[in-house]
Amino acid sequence: MAPLLALALLCGAASARADSLKPWAGDWLPPLALDRLDGPPIGLDALRGRPVIVHFFATWCAPCIEEMASLNALAVTPAAPAILAVDVGEVEARLRNFFGDRPVSFPILLDRDRAAMKAWKVEGLPTSFVLDRELKPALRTEEPLDWTSPAVAAALATLPPQAASPIQPTREKGETPR
Amino acid sequence: MISRRDMLKTGAAAVAALPAPRLAFAQDVPFAPKPGAWRNFAVTTRLELPATGKAQAWIPLPSVREDEWIKPGRNAWQTNAVSVEVARDPKYGAEMLHVIFKDGETEPSVEVSSRFALRDRAEDLAAKGSVPALGDAERKLYLEATELMPTDGIVKETAEKAAAGKGSDIDKARAIYEWVVANTFRDAKTRGCGTGDVASMLRTGNLSGKCADLNALYVALVRSVGIPARDIYGIRVAPSKFGYKSLGAGSEIVTKAQHCRAEIWLEGYAWVATDPADVRKVVLEEPPGNNAVDTPKVVAARQVLFGAWEGNWLGYNVAHDVALPGSKHKVGFLMYPQAEVAGALLDCLDPDTFKYSIRSAEITA
Repeated sequence: MAPLLALALLCGAASARADSLKPWAGDWLPPLALDRLDGPPIGLDALRGRPVIVHFFATWCAPCIEEMASLNALAVTPAAPAILAVDVGEVEARLRNFFGDRPVSFPILLDRDRAAMKAWKVEGLPTSFVLDRELKPALRTEEPLDWTSPAVAAALATLPPQAASPIQPTREKGETPR
Repeated sequence: MISRRDMLKTGAAAVAALPAPRLAFAQDVPFAPKPGAWRNFAVTTRLELPATGKAQAWIPLPSVREDEWIKPGRNAWQTNAVSVEVARDPKYGAEMLHVIFKDGETEPSVEVSSRFALRDRAEDLAAKGSVPALGDAERKLYLEATELMPTDGIVKETAEKAAAGKGSDIDKARAIYEWVVANTFRDAKTRGCGTGDVASMLRTGNLSGKCADLNALYVALVRSVGIPARDIYGIRVAPSKFGYKSLGAGSEIVTKAQHCRAEIWLEGYAWVATDPADVRKVVLEEPPGNNAVDTPKVVAARQVLFGAWEGNWLGYNVAHDVALPGSKHKVGFLMYPQAEVAGALLDCLDPDTFKYSIRSAEITA
């Protein structure tokens, strides 16, 4: 039974589930002020004007590894969304080894104490969020996706065009708006 | 594609399809741990850190004392550190040797030797006795969620399905044990002993991993139905005397022999030994490997490891989410030596950047 179940589990983990990219409603984004692996800090504000994928992952998470390759394939396509990959709770040395073997073209942020994971209400890995061009919540998924699939592309294409008066990104509940 | 929910159904069917344990089987020595003579051991851990910045390190010390099966002894160390102290995690009581080296130390090193005594443990689950109730504080501690082990949502939902129709705590705990054995599998590619992110395992349907994944899953599921449970993080220190190559240390070098086990609190029995992850280890690794679930050694392990285990394994501590004293870093559990150089935590699973060795010796004199 074990080999068959193992195969089923691997298939389940690796397959694309475009229908799991679901609407994500909300007025404010949680904060995302994190150090970056081997690079200057980058915040959401700097990415305004493009859709943004915020992807929570860890290198021990088997489905995340395959999904990371698919995100990197998406990142090099024309008019691709910006991507911020947030590693949860791992040491930097481990990430350097991992991305040394599998380089990606987007920033890796470091959620060392899982504070961002909690703020974004991430319950398990991988979890991804899509923000529209105004940095407003748009889509989310708690399943590993093939980000190059036609269905995902179609979902991303439904994001609204940039509005004239963008809103501010996020603040925590109860925080005074800037 | 098979969804997670389909997979859970498959797992439930697989439980029903498993053969009942057989009492008679062909094996050199029956797998029957029983409390008997104590065995004395010393484990020696040596770290040699890179001289690339100010360094500090934390080495786990035996901190579990249970008069039925484990008695920590004295710790001794040699080091060129400028500060050495035995630190104690305030929540769980996990002890560690914390050493700090001076900035510019050219060869930061520390060697720690810990003595302890072990013996087999086995609970007669047919003979419920009268034992003091678990204290309120301990009960709360061993029922609560941790960073990686939520006890609500999908965890509770899964546990309730696994234990459906069971009334007593022992029946619920055993049903969940069987569910974990039937639905998880050991993945040889998992780094170290795994991470134990239980919610991610259940939500993605990827129930593979090693002991820190599979036994953490068991502990979280059991806690979620109101039964106190805890992981014990430790290391194998001797071969199995029952002929299980996969359930013992292969040599005196135990640098990669870390293993965690689980205990559940059952009224009338106190803390009871369990280890569903080791059942999956026997399935995968016991020669010839990739064993069927009805292989006699697998059947025996599955039957015995709910209620008993062999005393060839040191339990360091039961701590989760351990803040390393003097550091901004925190670890999910303290089973490996940890070290920080120039403010960056080293990868305790990368021998190229973090060199350490652990040796075990039985003391017979």
